[in-house]
Amino acid sequence: MDAWQVWLEPLIKIAIVIGALQGAVAYLILVERKAAAYIQDRLGPNRVGPWGLLQPIADGAKFLLKEEIIPAGADKVLFLLAPVSILATATVAFATIPFGYFVPWPGARPIELTIAPGLDIGLLFVFAVGSLGVYGVVLGGWASNSKYSLLGGLRSSAQLVSYEIPLGLSVIGVMLLSGSMRMETIMTAQAQSGWWWIALQPLGFAVFMVSGCAESARLPFDLPECEQELVGGYHTEYTAMKFGMFALAEYQHLITVAFLSVILYFGGWHVWGLAPFTEGNQVGLIGAAVRVAVLAIKVLLMILLFMWIRWSWPRFRYDQLMTVAWKVMIPLGLLNLVVSAVAQEFLAPNDYMTRCVLAWLAVGGCVLYAALFSNVAAPEPKRPQASPQA
Amino acid sequence: MNLPSLPVFLFAAIATVMSVTILVLAQVIGPKHRTAVKEMPYESGMDPVHSARQRFNIGFYLLAIEFLVFDVELLVLYPWAVYAGGAERAYPATDHGVFWVVMGFIAVLLVGFAYTWKKGVFKWN
Repeated sequence: MDAWQVWLEPLIKIAIVIGALQGAVAYLILVERKAAAYIQDRLGPNRVGPWGLLQPIADGAKFLLKEEIIPAGADKVLFLLAPVSILATATVAFATIPFGYFVPWPGARPIELTIAPGLDIGLLFVFAVGSLGVYGVVLGGWASNSKYSLLGGLRSSAQLVSYEIPLGLSVIGVMLLSGSMRMETIMTAQAQSGWWWIALQPLGFAVFMVSGCAESARLPFDLPECEQELVGGYHTEYTAMKFGMFALAEYQHLITVAFLSVILYFGGWHVWGLAPFTEGNQVGLIGAAVRVAVLAIKVLLMILLFMWIRWSWPRFRYDQLMTVAWKVMIPLGLLNLVVSAVAQEFLAPNDYMTRCVLAWLAVGGCVLYAALFSNVAAPEPKRPQASPQA
Repeated sequence: MNLPSLPVFLFAAIATVMSVTILVLAQVIGPKHRTAVKEMPYESGMDPVHSARQRFNIGFYLLAIEFLVFDVELLVLYPWAVYAGGAERAYPATDHGVFWVVMGFIAVLLVGFAYTWKKGVFKWN
């Protein structure tokens, strides 16, 4: 093992990933603004460059050139530590996420498209590092010395830790199907079985999607910064680049969740009709490129779905948010876990059809239960009328 | 020398340095005109009253404890999922011992979950 393999290869990958991430976030914000505009029958940003294409660059320059204000009475160290910690952890979460299959390299061993390809704990690592973002939220809320920030920080941290549990529960079904936490193995398992795990884990995917949305604080769950109640939430007092760092971290979380949902439930780079790009067991350069493209397109579609969700649902109330996490998502996650475990234990390992039927039966049972017994559709209880004051 | 986790530490170091650099750069480049009013914490245009660091709802503490219980439980289940999962079984198909242990574990967990639910930890108003 030479220096190239130990130091240079990871360094090149890291440079590419960080560059691609920052660029992707900058332009995804433009895409989101455009999508929002079209959904609301507006034009969206269109002044800076053709079709607003230079808008992200202008935004970045503005973040740099605005004044950094630290409020009086703030804990300066923690106040500055918060954006650093949230951005650094959101970035490091990409260490074990594969961006494609491996690239064959003539005359040498193939290059795997992951920063840390040898790590067996892939999925656990992403969750562990991703959840460190809570520290940024708590620190930011506490250090600002502003009531809005404190309340926003408390609420968001409670939300983030609550939804982490269903998120972790839902992926156990995928682990049971794949027998690994390495995302490369999970994708290969789907390619080999010919099933995408969404067909076998519909309940798990639903729980994962909702929790992922909540973890990245997307709109139906954007309680951390609901403008009407908390102004800006935990980043009320953050200006200029420090706010930009929070926004960057939030978008990186979104991209992480999109990558995870595609890799765990939609087959990753796998798509039917890849056979012409595979020569026996060998994946050529073109095959590798096609796989990277397939994964990228799926991730982009998933992000667009998140943007679509954002403009389709009204925001939850805080008590509804917590109720959904603890009284709906966790029981559903446990149900999914038990059903998957029973199927894994008592069915033949390659009997995917029965598993599929079983999983969808569980979904049907949940829908039936909700239709019969839930009080979602019931009218709201009458609030006590305020007595008229003289 | 085989170091599968070395890239992770490299990545963590680079990401931290990058974040700090961005922060410092913005502090250096941006204008600096400090005034007392500008540094006032935002309170909808009013002058702030008292410190913001006040006591808050006990519910957040209870939730944090409940979270810890569940998170540790997840960490116990993950290795089992990897052991029992996959298309090729790591143990004979007639051996259900570990499976029943895990089911018992989940049952015990459910009892605790029902207790906290009954106690109203998840009630917000």
